[in-house]
Amino acid sequence: MHMSVGIGTTAIMLLIYFSLHHMLNEVALISISVFNFLFVFLLFPLEGPLFRKVYLLVAGNIVGLIWYFIKSSFGAASVFYLGTDTLKIITVVIGPIIDLVWIVSVWSLSLSMLASAKKRNEGEGENI
Amino acid sequence: MIYVLNLIFVFLVMFMSAYLARHYIFTLTALYHQKGHSHHNPHDTPYQPTVSVLIPARNEEKVIGRILQRMIELTYPKEKLEVIVIDDASTDQTSEIAEEFAKEHECIKVVHRSLEDGGKGKPAALNHGLKYVKGEIVCCFDADYYPQRDILEKLIACFKDPKVGAVQGRVTVLNEPNTLVTRLVALERTGGYRVDQFAREGLGLIPQFGGTVGGFRRSLIESLGGWDASMLAEDTDLTFKVYLASYKVRYVNDAECYEEAVENWRSYWRQRSRWAKGHMQCAFRYIWPLAKSKNLRLREKIDGFLLLNVYFVPILVGLAWTLGATLFLIHPPPWIEILWVAISISVYSSVGNFAPFFEVGIGAYLDGRKRIYWLIPLLLLTFMFNMLICTKALVDLSVSKVAGKKHHAWKKTLHNGRGNCYICNNKVKQDVN
Repeated sequence: MHMSVGIGTTAIMLLIYFSLHHMLNEVALISISVFNFLFVFLLFPLEGPLFRKVYLLVAGNIVGLIWYFIKSSFGAASVFYLGTDTLKIITVVIGPIIDLVWIVSVWSLSLSMLASAKKRNEGEGENI
Repeated sequence: MIYVLNLIFVFLVMFMSAYLARHYIFTLTALYHQKGHSHHNPHDTPYQPTVSVLIPARNEEKVIGRILQRMIELTYPKEKLEVIVIDDASTDQTSEIAEEFAKEHECIKVVHRSLEDGGKGKPAALNHGLKYVKGEIVCCFDADYYPQRDILEKLIACFKDPKVGAVQGRVTVLNEPNTLVTRLVALERTGGYRVDQFAREGLGLIPQFGGTVGGFRRSLIESLGGWDASMLAEDTDLTFKVYLASYKVRYVNDAECYEEAVENWRSYWRQRSRWAKGHMQCAFRYIWPLAKSKNLRLREKIDGFLLLNVYFVPILVGLAWTLGATLFLIHPPPWIEILWVAISISVYSSVGNFAPFFEVGIGAYLDGRKRIYWLIPLLLLTFMFNMLICTKALVDLSVSKVAGKKHHAWKKTLHNGRGNCYICNNKVKQDVN
């Protein structure tokens, strides 16, 4: 049940992204898809309320979008001040680290929230 | 030329993707098989052969008393247990402390190595200890380790199956709260044991013998010629020897043992350099015999191949990164931007001790951890460090090969005994028990 809802939510969001493809580049699309894939198949099976998982998934997607818009803005500003070649070099050299920082962070934070909720529930159960 | 470089880049990305897929499968296996995994109850088994525990110790005065005290507290029948401390030419109080225990407890024995023979590394010390062993099963523990009381029952139960040649228990970090490095090592261990080893066991692949917190059939280890003192990763070497001899290695997740992890980056570098060099030695030695072996199934061969090459991955990621960047700048083909993302994923898939962030995270979750997740992004630091370590290890090995040098110096990890305070702490003591 949880997985189906997760896959459905992801499918809806990806459809929206593809309809906005003129605003998002391939790197952004692939990274957000990777995040959704890891989130749905590894976090949705864990214990926890469905609403919280969907909320975290959507929040993660919003963070990813904001991340790419900020990155693009920096890119545009860098082209203006540093030139296209310098931006290319920076993007290529630090790209592999920068591109996934938000995925690892948001995914870990979401897992932390699910684990805390589970611990809390277990504690309440013991108290009862 | 550009065409060839493009091909190499695509090959590297495919190679890294294979590791990514492997770890993803492991994570799913650990996640979905956790409920179906049968928890072994050691007290149900009547199988209790004679056991010899080898504890190699060189200048371990700060920790040797702790493990010997624990050996006395083990629940395994004392009449079937012998503990052999191999004093590897220690120059501190290790020998005296061990002798004190031996005087008071019949099951403990101390053997000494002379200053001329000693200090040549753990495999040489273990071979020396093997001469004095009487038990049917030989177990090994490092001096800085602190096992559960019933660990032997849990490990030994696997030997009921005659096909099992070796067994490995789980390693957990004792001094985790001490420094950032110990915390990151704890995360690596979680991913490595709770998910990686657990999944390999569950999928019938190649669980690895880790050199400590494990055991062998004495007949097997003797027939294999003991530990190879020329190998820096004698554990991986033995793992493959066992498999090539048609035996299996089993992993027992419930058999937990605490270790004192390295506390600073310098020690981390030394320890991981030794592991990287040793693993690469094994890769060069066993790739071909593994491929030719008729005793192993295809999936075991594939897993063995990926396991043997795991310390090349950080180098290949670095190479792919450099090559991709060069291609991107000089002559970018239209598809490179998409493959470039694969480099990003691989960087984050190889963090820590080569366990991806999601594997580490799920391992921590399965362990019931609550707060450690915020450190996961910092595993990138250990990955960058491992990139340098593995590259240097490969260069060193290549130079040694060219120079015809066969023996490599064993750089011992120093233990400061700062983990002792956690054993006195009642909360941890309960967890350990």
